[in-house]
Amino acid sequence: MDIFLQQVVNGLIIGSIYALVALGYTMVYGVMKLINFAHGDLVALSAYIGLMFYTQLIGMGVMPQSMVVIMVFVLTALVAAAVALLVERVAYRPLRTAPRLSAVVSALGASMMIQNGIMLIWGPNITIFPSDILPAASWTVYGISITFVQAAMIIITLVLMVSLTLFINYTKMGTAIRASAINQDVAKLMGINVNMIIMIIFVVGAVLGSVGGLFIGMYYRGISFNLGWIYGLNAFIAAILGGIGNIPGSMVGGYMLGLFTALIAGYVSSSWAEAFTFILLILILIVRPTGILGERVAEKV
Amino acid sequence: MKKLFSLSLMLMVSAFFAVGAFAADTIKIGVQAPITGEYANEGQGIDNAARLLAEQYNAKGGLLGKKLEVFTCDDEAQAMKAAICAKELVEKGVIMIIGSYTSSAAEAAQRTYFRAGVLQTTDGTSDSLTKNGYWTFFRNSNPNSANAAFTADYMVNAAKFKRIAILSDHSSYAQGLADAVTAEVKKVNGNIVYSGKIKANSQNFTPVLTSMKSLNPDVIYFAGYYADGGLIRAQQKQLGINAEFIGGDANDNVDFVKLAGAAAKDAKIVNVPTPDMLPYDSAKKFLAAYNAKYGKEIPSIWALLNADGMFAFLTAIEKTQSTDTKKMSDWLHANELDGFSGKLKWDKNGERVGSTFMVYNIKADGSYEVAYPKK
Repeated sequence: MDIFLQQVVNGLIIGSIYALVALGYTMVYGVMKLINFAHGDLVALSAYIGLMFYTQLIGMGVMPQSMVVIMVFVLTALVAAAVALLVERVAYRPLRTAPRLSAVVSALGASMMIQNGIMLIWGPNITIFPSDILPAASWTVYGISITFVQAAMIIITLVLMVSLTLFINYTKMGTAIRASAINQDVAKLMGINVNMIIMIIFVVGAVLGSVGGLFIGMYYRGISFNLGWIYGLNAFIAAILGGIGNIPGSMVGGYMLGLFTALIAGYVSSSWAEAFTFILLILILIVRPTGILGERVAEKV
Repeated sequence: MKKLFSLSLMLMVSAFFAVGAFAADTIKIGVQAPITGEYANEGQGIDNAARLLAEQYNAKGGLLGKKLEVFTCDDEAQAMKAAICAKELVEKGVIMIIGSYTSSAAEAAQRTYFRAGVLQTTDGTSDSLTKNGYWTFFRNSNPNSANAAFTADYMVNAAKFKRIAILSDHSSYAQGLADAVTAEVKKVNGNIVYSGKIKANSQNFTPVLTSMKSLNPDVIYFAGYYADGGLIRAQQKQLGINAEFIGGDANDNVDFVKLAGAAAKDAKIVNVPTPDMLPYDSAKKFLAAYNAKYGKEIPSIWALLNADGMFAFLTAIEKTQSTDTKKMSDWLHANELDGFSGKLKWDKNGERVGSTFMVYNIKADGSYEVAYPKK
C-alpha cells in the first residue's frame, strides 16, 4: 500500500510540472487556436536563466538564501515573460491572418531558435543546479517519503492554479480573455483590445512555465538544451488529455498524465511508459476528442 | 662501374650483417605504437614507458648478460602502417613487441609476429584480438566482457550482496553490459531480484525506484551513463532506499558527483584504474621514475599496462634463462606474476585472466578511494 501511495506522490510531483507547462499551451490555444511549440523551449530557457540569476545573486552574497530564491523566481518570470512577448511579436503576430499552417511552422522555427540559442550560449553538455538551493529536509509519513522541494512544488503549483482560476473567472481581464477565446471578432466589437489580451496570455503562460522550468532545475538538477522537448511534449499531451483550450482541463490533464506515467512505469514497465502515454492519448482522442473537460463546440455548416 | 656497384653493395650487405652480428649481444625489443597522429600522446607514453623499463634493467646489468635495446616504429594507429611496422620490426630481429595502442593496429600486425615467432603484448580491448589463439600473443588489458565478470564477482563473492537489482538504459553499451553482468551474476549463483530499464535523459526515475523499493534490494547496479546515474543515486536516497549503488564505467565522470549531490557519498563505480589509483608499490615506484625522467605524468593506464606486458616478457627471459620466445611463451602461460596493475596471468589464447578493474568508493568530498581489491 505504501508503495502505491509513494507512486501517487511521484506522479503528483511530475504532474505538477506537466500541469504548469500545459497551462501555457492551453491558454494560447484557447485564444489564438495556435499550438505554441516554442513554449517547451521557453521552459528550458527559464531553467538556464534561473540558474544564472541564482549564481549572480549568491555571488553578491548580500541577501539571505530565502530572499535569493524568491528573487530568482521573480526575475526569471520577468525574463521569460519578455522572451514570450518577443516570440509573439516576431513569430506569431505577423502571421495572425495567414493560414493556420504558417503559424505552426513559425512556432516550430521559434522552438528551434530558442533551443539552439541555449546550446550556443550554455553548450551542449548538461548544466547542473547546485543541490543546496532549497533546504534538504525530508519527511516520512506512513512510509511515504517526501522532501521539502517536492512539498514546495506541489504547494506552489496548487497556489498558482487557484490564483489563475480566480483571475480567469472573477476579474474583468479574465472575462475579456474568455470572451476573446470564444470569438475574437465579436470581442473586438465589444471594445476588447485583443492584442493586449494575447500579450497577457503569453505573459501568464510564460510565468507559469518559468516556475515549471525552475522546478525542473531545482528538483532534477541536471538541465540540457533539449529539455524543453521532453517536457513540452508531455505537457502538450496533458493539455490535449484535459481538453486543450480549457484551463481546469489542463490542470487535471497534467496531474492525470503524471499519475498515469508513474503508475505505468512503476507497475508495468518504465521503458514502455511513453508508449502507453500515446495509447492513452489515442484512446482519449477516439472516445472524447475534445479532452476530458473539453466542451464540444457546435460547428456551423 | 658495374663491379664497383656490386662491390659496394656487397660491402653494405656485409656491413649490415656485421651490425647484426654485433647487435646479437643485445636483446632487441620492438615498440609498435602511434607516435604521431590522433593518439600520439598515448603512443609516446607507451614508447617512453618501454624505454624507461629497458633503462632500469640495463642499469642493473641487463638480462642474461646482455643489454636491452628498444626499436620504435610509428604505426599512426592505422592498420596499414601497423602491417608495415610489423615487417620492419621483425627484420630488425626483435624478439618481443610492445603495442599497439589501438586494437585494430594490434590486430593488423598480429599475424606477422606470430609467423616470425615474436611475442606481442597490447592493451587493445576488442574481444576479437584473442580469437586466433596465437601462442605469441598476450593481452595486458581486459576485454570488454571481463568488466561484467569482475562486477558480478565483486557483488556476489566480495561484497556478499544477497539481493541484486540491475538497471540499464536502452543504449547498446548499457544493455550489453547489463546483460553480461546478469549472466555473470547467475553464473556465480547470485540472486537478482529486479532487472529493469530506464529511458535515458528522462530525469524522473522515481517510479522505477519506488517499485524496486518493495523488493528491498541490497544493491542497485546501474549500467548506463553518468547523467542518469547521478540522478538515480540522488532519487534513490530521497526515496529512502538504503541499498548500495554501483555504477558501470560510464558513470565515471565528475558530473556524476555533481548530480547526485550529497547522495554521491559512498556510491561506487567500477572501472579500470587511473594510474595514480593503483594500490601496488611497484606501480607507485615506476610512475615516480616516469615522472622524474620525462617530467610529466604517464598519459593513461594503457601505457602502464603495456609496460606491464613488457615486464612480464622480461621476467620470462629471466626465469627461463633464454631468449627463445617459445620457451618464454610456455612459461608465461604456466605462471603467474605480480605486475604494476595486479596479477598477470594468461590463458592459452593470450587472454589476461583476472582483471585490472577496481571498485571506487566516492568520498564525501567527491574524490575517489579504492574500495576493492584492497591492498
